[in-house]
Amino acid sequence: MARDFRTAILDPQAAKRVASSDAGVAQAARVLVRIENVSKQYRLGDQWVPALNRISLNIDQGVFMAIAGPSGSGKSTLLNLIGCIDTPSSGRILIADQDVSGKNADELAMLRARTVGFIFQTFNLLPVLSAEENVEYPLLQLSELSAAERGRRVRQYLEIVGLSEYARHRPNQLSGGQRQRVAIARALAMHPKIILADEPTANLDHKTGRRILRLMRRINRQTGATFVFSTHDRRVIDMADRRIDLEDGEIVRLGIRSGKEWVFAMERVDDLSDDNEDQDS
Amino acid sequence: MLKLALRNILRQRARTGLTLAAIVLGVASLVISGGFIEDILLQLREATIRSQLGHLQVYKRGQFASGGRHPYDFLIDNPAAIERVVDALPGMVARADRVSFSGLISNGSGELPMLGEGIEPEREARIGSAMTLLAGRRLAVEDAFGIMVGEGIANALKLKIGDSVDLLLSTREGALNTLDFKVVGVFRSLSKEYDARAVRVPLRAAQALTATSGVNSVVVLLADTRLTERARADLDARLPSGFEVKTWQELADFYNNTAALYERQFGVLQVIILVMVLLSVANSVNMTLHERTPEFGIMRALGQTGRDVFRLAVLETALLGMIGAALGVAAGSILAWIISAIGIPMPPPPNSESGFIASVQVVPKVLAAAFGLGFIASIGAALLPARRLARIPVVEALRRAI
Repeated sequence: MARDFRTAILDPQAAKRVASSDAGVAQAARVLVRIENVSKQYRLGDQWVPALNRISLNIDQGVFMAIAGPSGSGKSTLLNLIGCIDTPSSGRILIADQDVSGKNADELAMLRARTVGFIFQTFNLLPVLSAEENVEYPLLQLSELSAAERGRRVRQYLEIVGLSEYARHRPNQLSGGQRQRVAIARALAMHPKIILADEPTANLDHKTGRRILRLMRRINRQTGATFVFSTHDRRVIDMADRRIDLEDGEIVRLGIRSGKEWVFAMERVDDLSDDNEDQDS
Repeated sequence: MLKLALRNILRQRARTGLTLAAIVLGVASLVISGGFIEDILLQLREATIRSQLGHLQVYKRGQFASGGRHPYDFLIDNPAAIERVVDALPGMVARADRVSFSGLISNGSGELPMLGEGIEPEREARIGSAMTLLAGRRLAVEDAFGIMVGEGIANALKLKIGDSVDLLLSTREGALNTLDFKVVGVFRSLSKEYDARAVRVPLRAAQALTATSGVNSVVVLLADTRLTERARADLDARLPSGFEVKTWQELADFYNNTAALYERQFGVLQVIILVMVLLSVANSVNMTLHERTPEFGIMRALGQTGRDVFRLAVLETALLGMIGAALGVAAGSILAWIISAIGIPMPPPPNSESGFIASVQVVPKVLAAAFGLGFIASIGAALLPARRLARIPVVEALRRAI
């Protein structure tokens, strides 16, 4: 396995170099999300449990990035922080050059509505709404959209995820994979700057999960939408073009895909994941 | 939003059913308990009016204040003038003149103080329709010297129908006068106190006994108790000066006290019902909303503000409350009719000898109050859990999805 210790994503300048040198990755070099020295602790009983420890990370526009790591490593916490549904204990997060730390709940809700699309492990569709209504629901908050435009977007994104025939089905009439595709359409329809997916394939069988990932990647390639997803599934990680490996709330390595190989930037010395890596492959 | 709220309600049949049941049950019990109180007060009121008081009584000014101690000073010598005014009242059903007197009643074996009324038998029969006859019959026109006695007097003097009694009193001029009467009936009114002292004789006999020619009061019965205040105003405006009008409510101390007592007692019970309704609705709403925490978390993750979520949760519960309150009013009314058809046997009210059959009145006022309370209770029950949904961190809410 190639070892190349370029400090790519930590350093915006380096990131640009890497991005431009890597033809597989979207050519965007603009940094969409800056995470600066962010820590997060949770209160568990009377103890504070660290979930993230002084993480710094830049996410470029247009990447298809996996956050990898065992459960409890802080993947979900990191996604939640990027998605503005959680706030850091310390440090700063900037999304599209907006500092989210100082915002109140309503401003964050507005930011979520316009900037972030969520895809959840448990799909989290609203059970009483049909597929098309689920896609339309968050659009209702965007007052600038006319009803016709909303309808157009709903049809467009259901078409993209291949569910046009199922538009009037309720979630309980859809399979897991179909539900997740509705969730993807819902996330995309908002034209968010970034789409966050927390273990999007965890509740799906491998084949369906793979198809979902391919769909996400195709959308990434075609529309340039930024995707960040967490997973602990090696096969899913390998579909990404960027990877961050988390362990115990810290980034242990950063990787960029180069052809079929991962090129790792930073790597911790006491790296145990190396063994896992070999074992998996 | 309304569409979403409605669908949410319709989706969770079991939960919705449970909440609805709590609201319906509560509203229905408010309707029934309220209607029951209404009925008891109504029956008591009508019995008071129709056994004794009539709706209105006209006196010479001052008689009421004198407490009936000097009935001779307040005789109306020309009742025809009053009667003309009374007859013109809208809704007037019957009127009767009365003469009041007091003295002693004796039958040789004993004597008792009594309060007598001289009445017009055929007219009084229409006013006193609710007075119960225990034995014998009512006074009739042909009974020149017949007498009806209250249950208490009949018992104390061991009077039977057909016995003769003497009434003894002093006339206006101060002379003692006595007349012999034949017992034709024993009555029971609503008030035990009244029955222990009251006798009724024909008006002419009373005038002969007291050696007067006037009457003390003109009693008026109206078609409907609700006409009372208007009739009173009419009388006040049209009667010649020197007269005063009293309504049944001003005369019915017994009714007023009993009504106050009942209203207080039932009021406490209704508060208890209300608290139970509130608790059960609150519990059910709280559980429903709590279970759906992740759902509201998703909405917020998708960019809804806490306020939006709060509004939706309250709106859903308000809709439920409205439906439940409407169903509760309907269920309560139907139950009320069924209960009324069967009837609830009641023991005698305080200071009374006879029980009665209570039913449940379906009164718009009670229905509206029950509906309002059910509706407000459900909104009130939603406020706190909805606020929690709006404030709980999104991550926390979503975590419960798994």
